[in-house]
Parts: sequence; structure tokens; C-alpha cells
Amino acid sequence: MHIPDGFISMPVAAVGIALAAGSVAYAVKATNKKMGEKQIPLMGVLAAFIFAAQMLNFPVAGGTSGHLIGAALAAILLGPWSGVLVMTCVLIVQSLVFQDGGLLALGANIFNMGIVPCFVGYYLYRGIASLFPKRKLGVMVGSGLAAWFTVVMASVACAVELAISGTVPLRVALPAMAGVHALIGIGEGLITAAVLALVLATRADLLELQKA
Amino acid sequence: MKHSFIDEYSGLDSFIHRLDPRTKLIASLAFIVAVVLTPASNWRVFAFYFCIIVALLIFSKLPPIYVMKRSLVIFPFVLLTAIFIPFFKEGEVAGSYNVWMWQVSVTYSGLFILANVVVKAWLCILALILLSSTTRLADLLKSLKQLGVPQVMILILSFMYRYIFVLVDEVMRMQQARDSRNFGGRRLHQLKTIGNMVGTLFIRSYERGERIYAAMLARGFDGQVRTLHKLSFKQADAYFGAVFCLVLIFPCVIWW
Repeated sequence: MHIPDGFISMPVAAVGIALAAGSVAYAVKATNKKMGEKQIPLMGVLAAFIFAAQMLNFPVAGGTSGHLIGAALAAILLGPWSGVLVMTCVLIVQSLVFQDGGLLALGANIFNMGIVPCFVGYYLYRGIASLFPKRKLGVMVGSGLAAWFTVVMASVACAVELAISGTVPLRVALPAMAGVHALIGIGEGLITAAVLALVLATRADLLELQKA
Repeated sequence: MKHSFIDEYSGLDSFIHRLDPRTKLIASLAFIVAVVLTPASNWRVFAFYFCIIVALLIFSKLPPIYVMKRSLVIFPFVLLTAIFIPFFKEGEVAGSYNVWMWQVSVTYSGLFILANVVVKAWLCILALILLSSTTRLADLLKSLKQLGVPQVMILILSFMYRYIFVLVDEVMRMQQARDSRNFGGRRLHQLKTIGNMVGTLFIRSYERGERIYAAMLARGFDGQVRTLHKLSFKQADAYFGAVFCLVLIFPCVIWW
């Protein structure tokens, strides 16, 4: 879903950059308030963690494989603003080192795969988890559904940007992208739920990070 | 384990490698903006930009095969755009095919959009490859800082860069351990295994982050990071920047 340069028009890219720059500036402040100078090593190592976790492929239907995006996971474990910060770092390195996602399109990519999934994922998870009386069940169902939904939302944002730029027609691209990613997102949802089950069983204190 | 997949060719020596990273970053961004802003169907302009970037790639001594392989990153998006081409209904029909049960017709305007997007994306990706393969990431981060990216972001990014190698190693060891224990079986079981691996990786990373912070505190870290190496803006950079700007504007002057 990393949009390369040239696929979105200049105005769309510019709006993306403005939105991303504003959010990241605020995210830096919000995380700094929460954890002070500890922010620097911790966020750096956790960004490297998301990057490394994305290397683990899992099988999807028909012999293809997918990998985790990790935005929902980062937001649920660290809170939405720290999640945005971590995902932004991952996307910058992917663009500058692997050309995965364009330089001018970086803002749009941060919006699609950082800002949107972190906030949608985090609040959806909190909402669903609070409906269950049993904590473990709530955490697993909430994180799974939230992670699945963030993948769909990211693809919707991507489709809308491409449509505004005139690259794809909206009325076909939107349902197609959302449909395909609703399938891909199942893996993301199940893995995220499994990760949270493990963290809950071994280091439940880490799940309280976002509240601290 | 060794990971040469990050800035693999940045250690080569050429005229492009020696330029100040800021010059290269701004020049790449200017090039990408120029390409994206070029109105559709200006094939002469695209050809002109293509010649520039190929000339620079030759100067930089990057292996052509490596550049070609790297530029394939845009392929999934090209495919995605190509799938939707038949759905642009307006315009003259270029060809109509019977695919299985559907009548698929491709219009000229649809093909036009595809060709345009592919050319632009490819030019931009070549510029980005040139930038990232001739500059060390550490230098690129330093130049980002001087161009106004907040210091905290730069520090986080440098930490990330430092620990990518460590954590990728960790993932590879985990994969090796998993595969040597007959990984496979039902899909749900596989997903659960990967979930456990990611969870373990998270806990280890978090604990590592805390240890690093403690080690930094013990060595007198006060939230400030001081570096010795300074970037130097040389005369060559000024010349390159000026010439490159003129070259970028050149097509607008003569063809518009």
C-alpha cells in the first residue's frame, strides 16, 4: 500500500505532507510529555521492532504471502500518538532506504498507514474491549477486530487519494480495494490478537503503557 | 549475521557520492516535484528528464541491474492501476476483448492515464534510488535535521537505524529456530506461531530500549546529543545545484 511518487497529484501530496507534518510535530510533544528523554531510545528501538516484525511473512490464500503492517499493534501497545511517531519513522526509513513509498508521497503514506490506523485502531480497540466483562477475551477480540479494520481503512484512504488524483475511478476502486484488504486484514487481525494474548500472559504491565 | 541491504552502494566513490547530502536531497525533491507537475502527454519533457537521470546514474557508477531491480518496487501499484483501466468509460475505444464472460473495452483515455502514471512513477523512483544509494543514511538524517525536521525525530530515526540490524538478526534467528522445528501445519496454527514471535520480539525490544536508556543515563545523557562530524557545503555543491536547477527549468522554457 506504499504509494510511490507519480501516482498521486501534487495537491493531494501537499495536503498529505501538511497533515503528516502537523500530526508528527504534535506526536513528538505528546510522547515527550509522557516519557521525557526516555522517548528517544525507546521509540527508536520500537520503530526498529515494527520494521523487523514486518519481515515475518504469513501465508494468504493462493500461495501468496502477506506481512504485518503493525500500526494497530503499535497504537494499542503504546497509545495513538506514540504509535504515529513509530509508524512515521518506519515509513521514512522504508522510503529513503528501500524506495518503498515515494518521497513526495511520504505525507500521504504517513496519513494512510500511520495517522488513520493508529487513531481508528486505538479507539476501536478501547471501545470493543470495554464491552467484555472478561479482560483477556475483550483484549483479544478488540485488538483483532481493530487491527482488521485499520487495514481496510488504510486501503480506503489510499483508494480515495488515488481517485482524487485521477489515477483510478472511485466507484470501482473503492469497493475493490476495500474488499481485497478485508481479506488481507484477517491475517493482521489474528496475529495482532495473538501478540496481545502473549503480552497479556507474560508482561501484562506493558499493556498499561498507553495510560501512563 | 551481515545485512548489506541497507545503503549497500553508499560506500562507492564518485562525483555524486561526494556531493553534500543536502544538495542531493533538495535536488531529488526538486526533480520529483518537476516530474509530478509536468502535464500529461509531454513526452519530450519526460524523455529529457529521463536522459538527465540516466546520465546521473551513470556518473554515480551504480550497477544498472541493481537499479533496475530496485525500481520494480512500483510494480504492484502499476498492476493496481492497470486493473482499473477498463473502467474508465469515457473516450474513444482502443480495443474490445471478450474475457471469459465479460465484454472488456479499453479506452484511449484509460491507457493514457496508465502510461502517464507509469512514466512519472518510474522517473521518480530512479531519482530516489540515486539519492539513497549514493548517500549514507546517517548523512541523510543529518541533512534532514538541517532542513528543519525536529531534532527528536532525527535522534529517534538514528536509534532506529542502529537497532534495525540487531532486531533483524533477532527475527532471523527466531525464523531459523522455528523452521528447524518443522514449522507448518494449519494456517491458524501458523498465524498463532507468528503472533507469539512478534509478541516475544516486542517484549525483548521494549526491555532492550529500557536497558539502552539506563546505559545512556549512566554515561551522563541529559537529553542532548552532540555530534562531531559536520556536513560541509562545498563549491561543487553550489555549481551542481545551480546547473541542476537550470536543467530542470529548461523544458518549461522551450516546450511550454
